[in-house]
Amino acid sequence: MIGTAGEIVRQIASGARSAASVLADTKALIGAKDPALNCFTEKTFERAEREAAAIDALRAKGKPLPPLAGVPYAVKNLFDVEGMVTLAGAKINAANAPAVADAAIVARLSRAGAVLVGALNMEELAYGFLTENHHYGITRNPRDPARGAGGSSGGSAAAVGAGIVPLTLGSDTSGSIRVPASLCGVFGLKPTYGRLPRSGTYPFVNSFDHVGPLANDVLGLALSYDAMQGPDSNDPACAQRPAEPVAESLTLPRGLRIGILGGWFRDWADPSARRAVQLVAEALRATQWAELKAAEVARAAAYIITGAEGGALHRPRLIEQYEEFGPASRARLVAGSLIPASWVVQAQRVRQQAYREAIELFGRFDLLIAAAAPSVAPRVGQEMLEINGRSIPTKAGLGVLTQPISCIGLPVCTVPVWPEEGETPVERDLPVGVQLIGAPWRENLCLAAARTLEQAGVAQIRLA
Amino acid sequence: MTEARDKQLESYVRAALALQGYVFDETQIAEIVMQFSRLDAIARSVFEWPLPFASEAAPVFRP
Repeated sequence: MIGTAGEIVRQIASGARSAASVLADTKALIGAKDPALNCFTEKTFERAEREAAAIDALRAKGKPLPPLAGVPYAVKNLFDVEGMVTLAGAKINAANAPAVADAAIVARLSRAGAVLVGALNMEELAYGFLTENHHYGITRNPRDPARGAGGSSGGSAAAVGAGIVPLTLGSDTSGSIRVPASLCGVFGLKPTYGRLPRSGTYPFVNSFDHVGPLANDVLGLALSYDAMQGPDSNDPACAQRPAEPVAESLTLPRGLRIGILGGWFRDWADPSARRAVQLVAEALRATQWAELKAAEVARAAAYIITGAEGGALHRPRLIEQYEEFGPASRARLVAGSLIPASWVVQAQRVRQQAYREAIELFGRFDLLIAAAAPSVAPRVGQEMLEINGRSIPTKAGLGVLTQPISCIGLPVCTVPVWPEEGETPVERDLPVGVQLIGAPWRENLCLAAARTLEQAGVAQIRLA
Repeated sequence: MTEARDKQLESYVRAALALQGYVFDETQIAEIVMQFSRLDAIARSVFEWPLPFASEAAPVFRP
């Protein structure tokens, strides 16, 4: 294992390892593990050598090291990386000019001393919860290669879950950080909508697009999140509020009111997902049930808005280059581009109503918990999920528990929970993630709860 | 889904495709009609949700 971000920072600061040696280990891990998993679509080793050398030079001169000094990371291939074509998982982008600058949060991680080692596979155009990419291949689950990594940030989750890198970046429109984090057994943070700037990322649905980190421990999430915060005038949705660092205060306040989301969130969680929620609830001493009555309709509203905005975004190229889009997305995108305006307006009204209901719920609770996926990772090519006697298409169904939350922009930290010894499905040793959902701008509580669960041994990464 | 609704949806999709400048063969149109039917089914629940008459949309969403 490469180590956690916090361990690497400490080792480099103490001289136990150099940034160059961490990078060499990372390159070896990529070479050994990536061919079977297909996480990476491109490696940036020349840049990584420069960035690692700069960190080692700083230390040699006795200068202070930045907060992520020497930590290797990789990014979903929808983030601009200077000199690289931003694919967003799509063949239609392959002939585009290379990016002239890094995406805002990639630049911020570089300034914080992190070392970029490559770009990662994803679902085409971020449209779906699998990473079975028609053009760039399937990203497999590091726990069981017969299963998928989830999506759309599948490469980001699998690279962390396989122990290749301690930190990656992903995006989350409807669950694309939380679902693959759940399936691959890693930690993920989807901040409040507007908290982190999306400048220099390939868009999908402006109304819902979030960016955030995935990591092999909570401190790694917190350190990277702190480094990426702050306003950015190039993203009109980015909140003009100062950074609110969390890494130094990952302690859960006493007397926190934690609710367990029932209703929709329990109905669509299978026994393994319910068990994961139960373990988290017990560890956090949560006993009260809560219900977001608008969850189902919020998901429906998100579907309509996603279809309309995604379809409108790609319409010109769907007209000219339909056959170059993958078969799993092109007809859906065209259908979305035909959605009447009245549907979209109604969906946005429903969304606002659902947000108000959630804010009322946060008058009674500080944190809500729910499963992040309805089940453990499905097999590659599995078309349907069976959840409590009901069937749902895998591609859309994996997001059934995340989509209502991103529709209303709430911050969520997803933590990996594993079956206990002797417990079904222990023979598969597959995790399910649990969402720790906060009120807007309360990422600190989500991360502090995650840290509490990590310290209690309830949520942790287990390398394959 | 009733046969009448299916026909309405197919007519709508054909008209909207033409309006927006798409040109597809019959196989492609059938696939797009199927996808649009799914969206139509989902949209029904959005329209059935009770809302105050004056409730506002969230076109630019800022929590």
